Amino acid sequence: MTAVLTRRPGLSKIRTARSPLFLVCFGFVALVTAAALLATWVVPYDPNTVDLGNALAGPTPEHLLGVDAAGRDTLSRLLLGARTSLLGPLGVVVFSTLAGVAVGMTAAWRGGWLDSVLSRSTELVFAFPGMLLAILIISIHGEGLLAPVIALSIAYLPYVSRLTRSLVLAERERPYVSAYQVQGHSALQICLRHILPNIAPVVLAQSTINFGYALMDLASLSFLGLGVPALTPDWGRMVFDGQTAIQHGYPLSAILPCVLIVLTVVAFNVVGERWADRVARRDR
Amino acid sequence: MNPPMNAPMNPVPTLDIQGLHITLPGTARPVLDGVDLHVAAGETVALVGESGSGKTLTSRSALNLLPPGAVVDGAVRVSGQDVLTMNADQLRAVRTSTVAMIFQDPRAALNPLRRIGDFLTESVTLTRSMGQADATARATELLQAVGLDDSALHKYPGQVSGGMLQRVMIAAALMGDPVLLLADEPTTALDVTTQAEVIALLAELRERFGTGLLFVTHDLDLAAAISDRVYVMYAGRIVESGPAEVLFAQPRHPYTSALLASTPRLDAPQGRLAAIDGQPPDLRQELHGCPFAARCPLATEICDQQIPEALPAPGLPHHQAACHHTDRLEGSPVDA
Amino acid sequence: MPENALEAVGLHRTFGSVRAVDDVSFTLPEGGSLGIVGESGSGKTTAARIVVGLERADAGEVRVRGQVRSARSRGRAQRLARAREVQMVFQDPYLSLDPRTSVEAVLRETLRLHFPGTDHDQRVRELLDQVGLGTRAAEARPRQLSGGQRQRVAIARALAVEPAVLVLDEAVAALDVSVQAQILNLLADIREQTSIGYLFITHDLGVVRCVTDDVIVMRKGRIVEAGPTAEVLAAPQHPYTRLLLESVPRPGWDPEAIAAARRAL
Repeated sequence: MTAVLTRRPGLSKIRTARSPLFLVCFGFVALVTAAALLATWVVPYDPNTVDLGNALAGPTPEHLLGVDAAGRDTLSRLLLGARTSLLGPLGVVVFSTLAGVAVGMTAAWRGGWLDSVLSRSTELVFAFPGMLLAILIISIHGEGLLAPVIALSIAYLPYVSRLTRSLVLAERERPYVSAYQVQGHSALQICLRHILPNIAPVVLAQSTINFGYALMDLASLSFLGLGVPALTPDWGRMVFDGQTAIQHGYPLSAILPCVLIVLTVVAFNVVGERWADRVARRDR
Repeated sequence: MNPPMNAPMNPVPTLDIQGLHITLPGTARPVLDGVDLHVAAGETVALVGESGSGKTLTSRSALNLLPPGAVVDGAVRVSGQDVLTMNADQLRAVRTSTVAMIFQDPRAALNPLRRIGDFLTESVTLTRSMGQADATARATELLQAVGLDDSALHKYPGQVSGGMLQRVMIAAALMGDPVLLLADEPTTALDVTTQAEVIALLAELRERFGTGLLFVTHDLDLAAAISDRVYVMYAGRIVESGPAEVLFAQPRHPYTSALLASTPRLDAPQGRLAAIDGQPPDLRQELHGCPFAARCPLATEICDQQIPEALPAPGLPHHQAACHHTDRLEGSPVDA
Repeated sequence: MPENALEAVGLHRTFGSVRAVDDVSFTLPEGGSLGIVGESGSGKTTAARIVVGLERADAGEVRVRGQVRSARSRGRAQRLARAREVQMVFQDPYLSLDPRTSVEAVLRETLRLHFPGTDHDQRVRELLDQVGLGTRAAEARPRQLSGGQRQRVAIARALAVEPAVLVLDEAVAALDVSVQAQILNLLADIREQTSIGYLFITHDLGVVRCVTDDVIVMRKGRIVEAGPTAEVLAAPQHPYTRLLLESVPRPGWDPEAIAAARRAL
């Protein structure tokens, strides 16, 4: 396969050759996912219970990770925040992968004017900053998780569709595709039953890497106060809320979500890279 | 091209492989299992075998180009020096000047973005064995020798045909004035008429420059047509070796005779081909006897138990076959 | 007189300024075997791909059992009908099978498409048996098979459709000599049993002699010689055919004379 995954310059420098790093990252991904899934049952406090008497308290046996400026338990907010913070990127990745594969595959298979139109329009999206698009859609649609997810899905679609297009172009050159055509299989059958499974590992590896980036972008949006409603626990939102706490000399409630965002992005990136490397090696 | 019968007596052969065993990770038996082969100065030797027989690995061992993880035993001497024990500098000297290699697919072996002239002069100027001007002069001379003019120097590989590109590869191989040329299926990717041209060229250059040639091929007829001596390989062993004409007229190993019989030929009788049933043994499978036993019409109990040794045919000291039943081929219909 | 299995009339195809196929016509009788011989760039593969429908002709038509083969298929019924006219075996057994599909799944897929609602178990066994593959090979993925075995699978897949004509595009060129002979014998057996017609594309005159009744020799897109294989090989009329024959290596072969003859042509 000649296709190259799109990686952001900084993160792609983290090499995945050493397997302990991969294992640690994989473990971290599993942990965060588990936290998101089980959050409702394991949280010690309601994340929105205000305990102003205890505001800005450090770690205590009652509040293991302290309390923020509004007197809310940081651990509970982190655990429940994992849910919002992972659900958003998941939506982005699912939508951008499905749509991107469809667009890329159609463009590669049909070729001609359709390919030109589809390729040019995805390039147009490339040229338009994803964050700006998100802010635009949110300002029209209003508050809620849906608007930023749709906006970022559109922004991430070209990464997937371009990759898919090049993979399908390479794959359809293989004689087995001609063989199925000669056998009388329809183009749709060949694409879905044979080409798609053969290119899926590479596309999914790209999507895993995209997951980390989408998480970072969504956190940035919530930090700006866009998207996630004010009371919903979310890591990006928590960093925003914690600004005042930092000014008062109690940085914990802002730093912890920051650290989690960074670690999760890195972990997903490493897992995705490792997967991509594996796939590349299998195809020689 | 008569076989120089005194060639094996030459004191220092250009290439002398003795008892070469190579084991690769993840295999149950050696990929090469005791290969003995030599090429005298100026001699053309063909190494014939099917895919997976180890013929390419054998030829590459002369440059110590072995796959990672290979465990090697034996000796591979080029002009008397063992390449398996050389240090990196000595090895580089061998690879750039003493031994040259021609690959099967010239298009895959050339960088499409560099001019042919750069490709030709690159190795000698990099090792500083020649200045740029001398190198260009030599390149022009060699291009003429292979039937191209110096306009080819400024062309890109994409601008010339496959046959011409293989001539360029041959010219490049001769740049360092090698004593041994390894040609690994150099004509398989070419058309038959182009193949004849490249073979004619190799024969002419061999005479002119006195280079030894090890010609690796799967094509028995081609081997017979061009070489002085032939080695036939099967499953990592040399099963038969000898002067080309004798080996093809009177094969002494059942594999050679079966291979000859299964080749679709213009002068063979019409009708079904005498195919060899089955497949060569898998590398994951251990062998206790003759590797060909499972497919051999002559095989008996001993073939499964004891590895046959290469023994000379009666009256022909240079014709060797590794078969327990080589005598049963004598006077049989295979002696055409 | 039996009708022809395949008829090509006045095929033309140009790529840019290159005339890949230039006025090529041939007929293949029912159950016959026709070889197309030529070197690379002779247009033999393009001609074959036009017959199969992977390439479109600029002019000319292809008839199978007297019926004109439409240039493009519209709809499922027509697509399947076209597939039952002509099938193809490709050169590279390593790339012509989907690496993820097992041998049995390959055959079942084809049978489901063309013969829905019938008992496929029986037919799969028959097909595997016909191409000399055991039931153990049925579960294997292509990567677990040797080149010869893969080519057997490709042949079984083509036969599953029960076509009138089988196009073999250098189908044995990538195989070792001993395996090549097995496949050539297999093809001869199948023709005897099924009266399928072969269009055999090859550069190897030995192979042509072995499996074809008639042969056409192509050079630079045009047919330079055509006739019964035995006659063409025994008494070639065109200098190019003679050159091709002389180029086949054999003891006492003179490559220099051939090189000179090639330059003269």
